[in-house]
Amino acid sequence: MPSCRQTFDPRAALVRPACAAGRRARFVVMAYQFDFTFVPDYAGMLAQGVVYTLGLTVVGGTLGILIGIGGALSRTWDTRPFGELFRYYVELFRNTPFLVQLFLIFFGLPSLGIKLAGWQAAILAMVLNLGAYSTEIIRAGLQATPRGQIEAADSLALTRWQIFLHVMLRPALRKVWPALSSQVVITMLGSSVCSQIAAEELTFVANFIQSRNFRAFETYFLTTALYFALALLVRQAMHLVGRYLIVRRPSP
Amino acid sequence: MPLVSTRRLHKFFGRNHVLRGIKLDVEESEVIAIVGRSGSGKSTLLRTLNGLENIDDGTIEVDGTVLQVDHDDPGALRALRQKVGMVFQQFNLFPHLSTGQNVTLAPRVVKRTPREEAEDIARRMLERVGLGEKFDAFPDQLSGGQQQRVAIARALAMSPKVLLCDEITSALDPELVNEVLSVVRQLADEGMTLIMVTHEMRFAREVSDRLVFMHEGRIHESGSPQEMFSNPTTPEFASFIGSLN
Repeated sequence: MPSCRQTFDPRAALVRPACAAGRRARFVVMAYQFDFTFVPDYAGMLAQGVVYTLGLTVVGGTLGILIGIGGALSRTWDTRPFGELFRYYVELFRNTPFLVQLFLIFFGLPSLGIKLAGWQAAILAMVLNLGAYSTEIIRAGLQATPRGQIEAADSLALTRWQIFLHVMLRPALRKVWPALSSQVVITMLGSSVCSQIAAEELTFVANFIQSRNFRAFETYFLTTALYFALALLVRQAMHLVGRYLIVRRPSP
Repeated sequence: MPLVSTRRLHKFFGRNHVLRGIKLDVEESEVIAIVGRSGSGKSTLLRTLNGLENIDDGTIEVDGTVLQVDHDDPGALRALRQKVGMVFQQFNLFPHLSTGQNVTLAPRVVKRTPREEAEDIARRMLERVGLGEKFDAFPDQLSGGQQQRVAIARALAMSPKVLLCDEITSALDPELVNEVLSVVRQLADEGMTLIMVTHEMRFAREVSDRLVFMHEGRIHESGSPQEMFSNPTTPEFASFIGSLN
């Protein structure tokens, strides 16, 4: 037993000074007793957090990729004025932190009279952030279209728009789908900072539980596991969406 | 009145004067073979005929549709392209679409042909090139020769007035060349107007009504292939056919 008594603080439980001031501090690694008995009490809340995070991801992912498709199209063909607008948008959002983007939307926009609820600001930030990254990802796919295929479509009298829609888009998405899937997962993991504007996603719930039961290790351990499972789930979902939407080929 | 007609066609790639005043008339049902050394401008000439390359001077007229120098009227350009089919050296099939979808795409989105009707056309065109049973196959499941025949069917499905063939057997393994050439021969027999750039001299000689020899951006010599091969009038063409053997 340590010679001096201390109040119990779970955050210091792993490594804590064994003695009070005055002596040379000795650090003792203690065997930690996990205690997950709080989980049933908070299961409903955690489930809501998971659903919230998933919701942000599905809406943010869908709209973000749609913006990315539009942006990639505008950038590839440099359609005025959208090509230029998307260039600035992409640079702005890819070169600033997500948290700051979120604060700008949540705390900044009210000055312009645009007041958003936490969830609205969270979705908007995620859509804009993912939109910027996916614009560049999808643009790379569009630019990899072999010239000959565009010429073949030209020679068949297709319009530029028809060429994009029927000839370029699906192969381009197919090429970049793994990169795009990763970006969606990154954005989902990034959504944890939305807890900072009181959007009640998974990290927000975790913070809340931890502040109630002081079991930080267990709470964040569980949260880590949940995020990991969510990431695997989202990856798998993207894989299936990709197979259904993009490859769509009957078995030979 | 000729179906295809060009006058004083000029084309530059930077400082390189590739086409130096081309005058070419092609009658309906005529089969033209354009030959010449690489760099003589033969592929460029073919590609100007459906606007894949714009021209710097001159006029192109196909079946009453006139192509402007700077292609400033996309509507006219597409109207012309509906009359001019093209088959490429590298096939250029759309890899994400099945054979049938490759052939039906343009009729459906450009001509707004209903699906059933477009598929009927596609099946007929695939029959015509001997690939009726490959409607649901994907390009990567086909040999090069089969892919090129699908590309021909795809061009035919728009019922073009004239078909341009740009070295369509050059990317094929030797044993696959004949299946493509026999399709072209059959089209020629059916009265299709054909303008082809080719290195297959024997084929050009057998099938074409008129041989066009290009040299340094000009039509250097042209006439009936039998006549030209047995009696070349210019030393350049004589040396060209001499270099083939």
